[in-house]
Amino acid sequence: MLRKSSRKPIALLAAATSLALVATACAESTREGGGGADASEPFVFAAAGSISTLDPFLTSDGETYRYSRQVFETLLRHESGGSEIVGGLAEDWEQSEDGTEWTFHLRENVQFHDGDPLDAEAVCANFDRWHNLTGGYQSSNNSYYWQSVFGGFAENEDEDIPDSRYVSCEAQDELTPVITITEYSSIFPGGFSLAAFGLMSPSTLEAIADQEVTGEEGNFTLPEYSQVAGTVAGTGPFTVEEWDQDQDEVTLQRFDDYWGEPAGFETMILRAIPDETARRQALEAGDIHGYDLVAPADVEPLEAAGFQVPTRDVFNVLYMAYQQEANEALADLEVRQALAHAVDRQRIVDTILPAGGEVATQFHPDTLDGWSPDVQTYDYDPELAEEMLADAGQEDLTVEFCYPSDVTRPYMPAPRDIFDVISADLEAVGVTVEPVTYEWADYIPRTNSGECPMYLLGWTGDYNDAYNFIGTWFSGYNSEFGFRDEDLFEAMEEASGNPDDAERTAAYQELNNQIMDILPGLPISSSPPSIAFAENVNPPAVSPLTQENFSEASWK
Amino acid sequence: MLRFIVRRVLQLIPTLVGLSILLFVWLQRLPGGPEYALLPDDATDQQRASLRRSLGLDEPLTVQYLSFLRRILQGDLGTSITTGRPVLEEFLTRFPATFELAVSAMLIAVAVGLPLGYLAARRRGTVLDFAAVGGSLVGICTPVFFLAFILKVVFAERLGMFPSAFRLSPGLSRTNLSGFAVLDGLRTGEWDVVADALAHLVLPGLALASIPLAVIVRMTRASVLEVLEEDYVRTADAKGLHRNTVRTRHVMRNAMLPVVTAIGLLTGSLFAGAVLTESVFAFPGIGSFIYAATQDRDYPVLTGFILIIATVYVFINLLVDISYSLLDPRVRAQ
Repeated sequence: MLRKSSRKPIALLAAATSLALVATACAESTREGGGGADASEPFVFAAAGSISTLDPFLTSDGETYRYSRQVFETLLRHESGGSEIVGGLAEDWEQSEDGTEWTFHLRENVQFHDGDPLDAEAVCANFDRWHNLTGGYQSSNNSYYWQSVFGGFAENEDEDIPDSRYVSCEAQDELTPVITITEYSSIFPGGFSLAAFGLMSPSTLEAIADQEVTGEEGNFTLPEYSQVAGTVAGTGPFTVEEWDQDQDEVTLQRFDDYWGEPAGFETMILRAIPDETARRQALEAGDIHGYDLVAPADVEPLEAAGFQVPTRDVFNVLYMAYQQEANEALADLEVRQALAHAVDRQRIVDTILPAGGEVATQFHPDTLDGWSPDVQTYDYDPELAEEMLADAGQEDLTVEFCYPSDVTRPYMPAPRDIFDVISADLEAVGVTVEPVTYEWADYIPRTNSGECPMYLLGWTGDYNDAYNFIGTWFSGYNSEFGFRDEDLFEAMEEASGNPDDAERTAAYQELNNQIMDILPGLPISSSPPSIAFAENVNPPAVSPLTQENFSEASWK
Repeated sequence: MLRFIVRRVLQLIPTLVGLSILLFVWLQRLPGGPEYALLPDDATDQQRASLRRSLGLDEPLTVQYLSFLRRILQGDLGTSITTGRPVLEEFLTRFPATFELAVSAMLIAVAVGLPLGYLAARRRGTVLDFAAVGGSLVGICTPVFFLAFILKVVFAERLGMFPSAFRLSPGLSRTNLSGFAVLDGLRTGEWDVVADALAHLVLPGLALASIPLAVIVRMTRASVLEVLEEDYVRTADAKGLHRNTVRTRHVMRNAMLPVVTAIGLLTGSLFAGAVLTESVFAFPGIGSFIYAATQDRDYPVLTGFILIIATVYVFINLLVDISYSLLDPRVRAQ
């Protein structure tokens, strides 16, 4: 018996070697098919994370929306490759003068994947369902965007949920739903384009009517329909074929009865590859045909190797914030201005950010309505900075400066490098910088609660409205910045509640001027995130909002 | 023997309780707290406060610990923030992939390491011995992720011999019976699935095997050398026993004791090592899921997985002890 066992290792070695040889042969045979010459070849795209649900309403995460935008469509959407709001399932739309009644004119002959026709009743069934959700659905974890856009529900079950802004949805005729809300808000019409409000077929809604979110806060179990492919039907160019959770793989099939241009790929597979380098290498090795969130440093090498790396228009902003309560010197406008003059933002843009980045003059990119050409600017002028600090009696200023140690964000590649440039600039005008780093998990709570006197942070927009940027920070007291300016806060609320487009845009421009006068922080840059495709792919138009429509793509 | 096993199993209880306390304390010390992890960055202070209340974070610590313990005893490890599914379910979905990877790595390490270590000892001072010892030193010193990158660049990207990512090629249809791709393929006769799954295991398996392989070579060599010096080996040789009988019955069996312990502990560490290897190869097991969870601040996943991996580790230790006692009767008597 023992003699036998002494041979085992050799037998195992032989077995392992032969298996490896078989496997190699097979690996080559499966890879020969790559290249996309065959139209039925699946297009494989790698995302940075898994999708969390088949029903986009239940989430606020971008990876899920990437999937859901191919399957579910919204009443309105953003133009292909841009940020202008255009018709989606509604060809056009009107709002009443006071902005509370939204009338949508639906496209004709639109079919859901299960054969149901799209009509006004179907639209209202969706909105009424959302408005009447109960139990676990009412947690902001499971209805974040509904609460952000439409407030609360028909019957709020928690006192912290705001009152509902949604009144009703009526079918004026077969193809004309009218949605009524309580008051005008500049969140609309942008709100109607959010992926969370992708429409499902009436048969789907009927089939899932009894399914509940179970469990409790922090420990919810999402309903079965949102986890197992087979129930949900939208109107998009692709249907959900399968969601293989142990492979982190969603398979989408072309929907042949789609009302618009049919999708270029018969099959599209979305796979998760969380590691940035692993995504790049999978593309280089031919295992995938495209991926998102390309590291700025990888853009040129990939292009040189023949890959396509289109760059999106910028829709984000990186800023250096002053927390005026955490260091009293920062409450002095002259000090804030001096520090702004001390920072060479152009150098950051030129040396650290991806090509196409630009210095930001205000707290949102110039692609948004409301961007002002007349804001006060703060050019790099270290001598002036030194003089102003001396004037303010702060020649020996010492500040703590926080930056995150472990992340990159679309608006902030390489935080440490950005910090190094800023810190050197500040030291050059006599400021002593005390660096403080936190991991991202710790960083957000600490900067949110006002612990960091100066820090780096940014934002990527959800839809084309200035309020989505400046309103987030400056519509009321905010411990991230730590100042009170009731005039500014009131003007912000007034602007966002003004239904007149031209007046509202002018008001936002004025607000941007006002913000840059009081300088609560220094906008640094807006930079474009890139996406990569294999050479044999005709890529879709890339979207500044990262809302690519993959049905536009095809094999070359 | 049974008494020994029962005693060892009972000793697990304080270990696991200690583990749960450590985890609970870690949870308490989490940066920012769950209200920041659960809600989007732009949630209001009011939303955060309400979430803290509904999570019971305002209760006394002992109450919170007991309810934490009650939940884990019921198998409720919480829900992943990013995927919204129960952590236990996520673990069970991904475990087969990691298990297959760890087993492949261990098979490679044992199949190559044991004979190589044995041969190095028998041929002490020869070129083979120097190569084995030197090679294992390089194996121990090379970070797994670095080796993984090298393997990937050379064999996947440059030579195109193996896939660079995933566990199965995208779109390959397979019958999922148990979650174990190779086993399922063998049972259903889907040979393309078996071959595809094996091809995907080669590079990550080799990368993950590097450290255990090196350790096994060195331990086997040292252990065999030590045993070869023992009096009873000399006696057996002197008595004229067949050389192979001495080598296998006397030398290998006794030399295996420390190596088995090492293999057990190395198997436990493979699950931890899988975090880097899996993320390099985008291998959808628990390792790459944990990696993603650290990026996304998915604390329920992190705590749940730490608890599970630590428990697996504790049980592997138990198995090591039991197999040790089978190999060496003195252990049972102690």
